[in-house]
Amino acid sequence: MTTTRSLRTLGTVRPLDATGSRGDPEAFEAAVRPHYVNLVRRLVLVLGNQHDAEDVAQDAYLKAFQAWDRFDGTDVRAWLYTIGLRLAFNQLRGRKRWQSALGRIESRPWSDPSDPDLWAAIRGLDARTRSALLLNVIDGYTHAEIAAMLEVPEGTVASWLSRGRAALRRELTRDEG
Amino acid sequence: MDGHDLDTSLEARLAAMEARAPGRDDPPRLDQRSRRGRFAVSFAMAPVLVLALVASAAAGTVVISRLTAEGHSGIENPGQPLEGAAMECMTGPEAQAFLAAHGYTDVVWQVESGSVLSADGGKGSSTTVQQASPPDHGYVIPGSVQDSGQLLMVVDQRVGATGVGACFGQPMP
Repeated sequence: MTTTRSLRTLGTVRPLDATGSRGDPEAFEAAVRPHYVNLVRRLVLVLGNQHDAEDVAQDAYLKAFQAWDRFDGTDVRAWLYTIGLRLAFNQLRGRKRWQSALGRIESRPWSDPSDPDLWAAIRGLDARTRSALLLNVIDGYTHAEIAAMLEVPEGTVASWLSRGRAALRRELTRDEG
Repeated sequence: MDGHDLDTSLEARLAAMEARAPGRDDPPRLDQRSRRGRFAVSFAMAPVLVLALVASAAAGTVVISRLTAEGHSGIENPGQPLEGAAMECMTGPEAQAFLAAHGYTDVVWQVESGSVLSADGGKGSSTTVQQASPPDHGYVIPGSVQDSGQLLMVVDQRVGATGVGACFGQPMP
């Protein structure tokens, strides 16, 4: 795993000043906006469609701004992703609940024609397992870091990652005989 | 593909897939409070709500023989009487007054309480109660007119609920 330690240092932001403020909206945008496009992309993979991903990303951005002065200033990307993923999980729960109660809710799924086998395998994982796997494999977050982000025990993350990798291995090697 | 091959190729393939996923680099304005209308439409397109009970009686005993979910068009759906009303952004009493002003007086309010998540992050539990008047607190979920002519509305009071449609993610009334 060679990705991301260097990337993560890009997420640091200015410390709180003497008034307990981290800065004005311009400071927030300067720190958070660069991560927005990747948050949308991450949410597309987690939620499975672009429109929901954009909606949740918008909410995450606004909620992040509201909480800006409470941010500890260490890893802005992890912080933004944490907000976005928790909102996404809430949205998925709501979608499932109200789909069963209210009927079909329109959403146009995204697909990846360039790597359909991998996308099918990823879609086969539940959203939390998928999120944990992406945070670990692409971003290089540790089990402990992912556990903190997703508010679950570290052992749960280890279990998700183990089962997720096993499922991907099974799906991706199926056609190889 | 052995485990090592999978791990090394997976990182590259997943990263490439994420890079191909559609992204936007224009976050919302920080003074923006309302969400895009499209999301409201996507929820309003679908809302339909019904439980249809089909019962049969035999030897003096009524037996519920079938429970079928059927689709009734939501009252905020396109072409429906209250299209675009955005009651999901109203409080329960506001929605009740709005409905009364539009002639909907036979309304049952289904109140969902509890929590979306359990303490350990798993699935929470909830309680459903139907009542004649709306609670002051909770997200309004526009429903549909039942076969009986009664309008069923839902109010979601669960801790961790997010609201729907135009007011998804807004503070719970």
